[in-house]
Amino acid sequence: MLEYSFSKPNSSRSPSLVTEDLRSFISKIYTVYSTNSASFMGLSSIGTASDGMQLCIFDLRRGQHEGQELDKILYFFPADLPFSTQLSVIGLSEGLITFTRIFSPEAACEVIEAERHSHVFYEAEPDIWMVMIVEKSKDSEAIWRIDALREVLKEIHSLFVMFHGSIRALLEREPGGGLTRAHLYPFIMDYLRDFLVGKKLQLPSFRDCLMERRSVQMLTVGREAAIEVQTLVRILESSAGNLPCFSLILFQDLLVSTTLSPEDTINLYKYAVLRLTPLALSSGAKSWSYLRKGNSSSHVSIGSTLLSTGSVSEQFYGSHDASPAGDNRYHVTRPLQHDKWFKGKDGFLITDIWGGDIGSLNVTTPTVWLHQTEERMYLCAYQYKSLTIILLIPLSSILNGDQGVSILKQQLLENASLKILKVEEKLSKGWGGENAYHVSGYRYLLVDGNRDISRASPPTKVTTLSKESLLALNRLREEVDAEKSRAKWDNPGREKDLEVCIRAKNNAWAVARITGGKELYMVLEKANETLLYASDAVEKFSNRYCSGTFSLD
Amino acid sequence: MAGKASSSQTSVGGLGSGAVSHVFIHYPPLRCNIPGSRGFYYDDGNKLLISPTSDQVFSWKTVPFSPNAAPNIDSITEGPICSIRFSLDEKLIAVQRSNTSIDFLHRETGEVFTHRCKSESESILGFFWTDCPSCDIVVVKISGLDLFAYDHASKSLALVETKKMNVSWYVYTHESRLVLLASGMQCKSFHGFQLSSAGIIRLPKFEMVMAKPEANSKPVLASEDVYIVTVYGRIYCLQVDRVAMVLHSYRFYRDAIIQQGSLPIYSSKVAVSVVDNVLLVHQVDAKVVILYDIFSDSRAPISAPLPVLLRGFSRSDSFTSRPSTKESESLQASDSNDNESIVYGDGWTFLAISASSSEIPSVLEFLQRRKLEANKAKQLCLAIMQTMILECRPITMVAKAMDVLVTSYAHSLKTGTYFKGIKTERTPSSVSNVSGSGQVIDVNTGRTDGLGKSLQRESAPRVNSVSASDTEDSSSLEPSKISSNDTQFDGGKVDIGAESCTTGNPLNASVSDQQESQLTSPAISPDEMYKFVFAPIEEEMIGEPSYLVAIILELFRSANLEKVKVHPNLFVLTIQLLARSEQYAELGLFVINKIIEPSKEVALQLLESGRQNFQIRKLGSDMMRQLSLHQDYVLLLVQDGYYLEALRYARKHKVTTIRPSLFLEAAFTSNDSQHLAAVLRFFSDFIPGFRSTSDFFTYYHILNEMNSSSVVA
Repeated sequence: MLEYSFSKPNSSRSPSLVTEDLRSFISKIYTVYSTNSASFMGLSSIGTASDGMQLCIFDLRRGQHEGQELDKILYFFPADLPFSTQLSVIGLSEGLITFTRIFSPEAACEVIEAERHSHVFYEAEPDIWMVMIVEKSKDSEAIWRIDALREVLKEIHSLFVMFHGSIRALLEREPGGGLTRAHLYPFIMDYLRDFLVGKKLQLPSFRDCLMERRSVQMLTVGREAAIEVQTLVRILESSAGNLPCFSLILFQDLLVSTTLSPEDTINLYKYAVLRLTPLALSSGAKSWSYLRKGNSSSHVSIGSTLLSTGSVSEQFYGSHDASPAGDNRYHVTRPLQHDKWFKGKDGFLITDIWGGDIGSLNVTTPTVWLHQTEERMYLCAYQYKSLTIILLIPLSSILNGDQGVSILKQQLLENASLKILKVEEKLSKGWGGENAYHVSGYRYLLVDGNRDISRASPPTKVTTLSKESLLALNRLREEVDAEKSRAKWDNPGREKDLEVCIRAKNNAWAVARITGGKELYMVLEKANETLLYASDAVEKFSNRYCSGTFSLD
Repeated sequence: MAGKASSSQTSVGGLGSGAVSHVFIHYPPLRCNIPGSRGFYYDDGNKLLISPTSDQVFSWKTVPFSPNAAPNIDSITEGPICSIRFSLDEKLIAVQRSNTSIDFLHRETGEVFTHRCKSESESILGFFWTDCPSCDIVVVKISGLDLFAYDHASKSLALVETKKMNVSWYVYTHESRLVLLASGMQCKSFHGFQLSSAGIIRLPKFEMVMAKPEANSKPVLASEDVYIVTVYGRIYCLQVDRVAMVLHSYRFYRDAIIQQGSLPIYSSKVAVSVVDNVLLVHQVDAKVVILYDIFSDSRAPISAPLPVLLRGFSRSDSFTSRPSTKESESLQASDSNDNESIVYGDGWTFLAISASSSEIPSVLEFLQRRKLEANKAKQLCLAIMQTMILECRPITMVAKAMDVLVTSYAHSLKTGTYFKGIKTERTPSSVSNVSGSGQVIDVNTGRTDGLGKSLQRESAPRVNSVSASDTEDSSSLEPSKISSNDTQFDGGKVDIGAESCTTGNPLNASVSDQQESQLTSPAISPDEMYKFVFAPIEEEMIGEPSYLVAIILELFRSANLEKVKVHPNLFVLTIQLLARSEQYAELGLFVINKIIEPSKEVALQLLESGRQNFQIRKLGSDMMRQLSLHQDYVLLLVQDGYYLEALRYARKHKVTTIRPSLFLEAAFTSNDSQHLAAVLRFFSDFIPGFRSTSDFFTYYHILNEMNSSSVVA
């Protein structure tokens, strides 16, 4: 049977008290909203067709009249599910949201834990909700952290907004919703393809408990290199003349410098790591020649069995990802499309995602929407060896469009290329390689919540941990997540210090320390039995690598 | 006669600092009235102006130059005078009477002895005193060099060494300690010796280049056409080629002479002199002076040609008729009347010239190499820097300029000139002779090294014979392995020389200038850079915070490269600028990557600027903790309401100076009786006698009230 847990409807009330009432309440709502006679109990069977995951986006302000229910669906995955099923999923979510808002108007439902599914809620924009439903299969790998899943939803939304603006704005532009669906559908499909392993979607599980999705990994540089980098930043910005512009510099997949707000930095950093850095480019390079042959449809259909749309919803979602250049009603750019970025001869990265012809190098410059300035910006990416530089210039400040951008690129090369060379050399020299941030004996994750930065043991090292250890830490992180969100409500604006050490079945220590907005998670496998030993190990780590931040006493 | 005659007014285009004329003549001139004077001689070894009469020698010290100074008068025996030079300790006067004899006069006793050539066939071309350890005087004859030591006891010359070779004529300057001996049909083959306190170096024989006017004619090189000049401690020879109308330059190394290229000349009469390491080529017929800075690779003049203005002289030969002693200072000596002579000291000021040049970084480079008027050069550098920033010149250009100044400062730190200028006249002049003992001539060792050696040498008897007044730059010959474009010249040695004579120019040291001339180096320290460049423009640059940050960053970069510390206020300023323009992301990176070096001031500024941005405030408090400013950190925690954390921290780091009432008050305002109880308990446990303080009673009472009220509620 179903169990409900509300993260924070009201701190003093226990969720179990309302369970019975709730059930009947929901079924009432459900029958009101559903056009289909699918029973309440049928919910648990939804996932079977889609490998255990469903993802939907809907707008509570739409489709409030009988017969218009379909209007509220903005996105549904898998799209080939019958609308009745889609609506029943959305209907349940809507019902829960409406219900829980009675107790907690500010923050409605966050998660439902059912017997076989977890429902993760995220209110991306006012009244626009994203819900992810994951199946708790017998598979022992299907253990996850709810917050990690919610981070996926957040990431989808914030990346979407960066490229297409807010969903609400799209809906306002075209109240029919077709435009919004036409944008959302290919975007999320492209995004989800990154989670494909073989033919299976692999969502963040307990194995990823030593990473933090919505954060930036930074390169540690010495003072001298840092000064060089900052002088480069100044030169970059000055080559745009007096225009206000922003820059982001990455070395390999690590951030070196940003002049953007934290929110925009996270998004652009993520996009760079997904599609722009040398590593991202090289993974796409293989299919480049393939694509040049004009065989684009087959290239897109990788994993098509899972991600392609059924014929039913093809028209509904407007755009079909197998026909990017097709004659759709809407011109939709697909910034997350795979293997679409290439390094030009001049070092600038080019793509035809935004239009134009890559063969003639006559492409439209990509644009992104910045959260901080609420302005659309041209995105120029330049790459030299391991260094990727992203420059953002306001659309409004360049009058003659792409021509103006190419002049700017020219200026950039003239002013900065020497400096770029120098910086790359400096950073390469100081770069300790993939395992630079490995600390032997420790498997750790450090999160600086104040600045949205994280650093972790390299993934190859994390894989050496036993499953028990990872499960223990995953469990610990869930506890901490709960504690953190409780503290956020009890005492907003105040940071809570927290320390938890648990001993796993395999005698490993899983440690979490939180202080002043910074978090340290750690697994010590070959540790001594005593708690003192574990505590000492953390202390040492803190003093050595975190300038004593976590040294409590 | 006007005191200040500006030959040209060079405008200082937008660079501040009032324009200065490039040359002016010191006034009043030295006037003397010596009946029966037989002309003037300049003794460059002692920097003396000498005017002999038939039985007397009048001599004026030209360092420091004083127009009213009375001459020293020595009596000599009557007779012809070919040349006259004082010994370096000024105890003897040597007078060449003919091409076979030299008279020596002991100034204290009046004793005279005569040195004669052994054979009639040997003809003396001239002589000079030397500070070489093995001999005191060198006599140049057509058959070669004779090196003599003066024996104090027997009051006679003892022959030390003879160097045999044919000599047509010779040139020598005391500054370079170098004698060049010309031989051959065209007098273009040269032998060279450097006789310095470090010993004698024989240079390889070399030929000078001469163009042929026609197939068969072979021009003969005259001694007037060859100049030895010392620039930045390097020795060059400049040779006028009248046929090709060029001035060839050669640089001397220990084991080679390397031609350095040629400068064009525009006059058949050319004179060459060096002032403050700038080469002045006087094109006499064209009545202009062209200035070159040989240090830079460019062969272009550093300014437009400057007119030569000769005032009040009926004869214009002051340049061409060089005194027989071949002095290379820009001294004008001319007898206008029978007996009356006027000597002007002229001071060359290159500051204005350089300021008018457009390549600002190279101008700064040039200014930083000035030794004369170091203070003015420094002021001008500061003004240029400031103006550049105020005018928002391109960052790359300002960066280059910054590099020049910082490098120059680092160099002056290494050689010790910077501090020398600050502490005036620290060392007595006798230490001036630091030329390395026995090593090679290239005394480019460190400063402490040089001093150590000089002290050793002081105890050696030879040093006593070295005149204390002989403090001018001694030049050095570097091994030619160091190619000519190597920029490290023999700074150490040159500077030490400059220390005791305050300025190198014998005729420039007028009294008023002396005070500021104490500065021997125009190098600008980071502190001065902050005080005189950044602090004054801070207000004006408020509108351009990111530009100013870029400039400061360039300063950090240069300073970091040269391992020089920058002024801590610059870090604070950087934070203010970044915070003002709300560039919090950058500010965070600056702090985390330690571009802004941690200090208490920085931490406080971060806290202050962090009022608008929580992350920045956090960085400030983290810095407090990392700097172990325990008390400030605890106070900060309490202020922010983290009184429990503060207590824990205070206990760990044994901070006992903060009043318990602060914590209690904070706990009380948080309205949490449990916390208040905890804090009370903490102090009761850890502070002996706390239970009897008024704080305890006050808050104990409050706590009871809180508890009872909550029970009621």
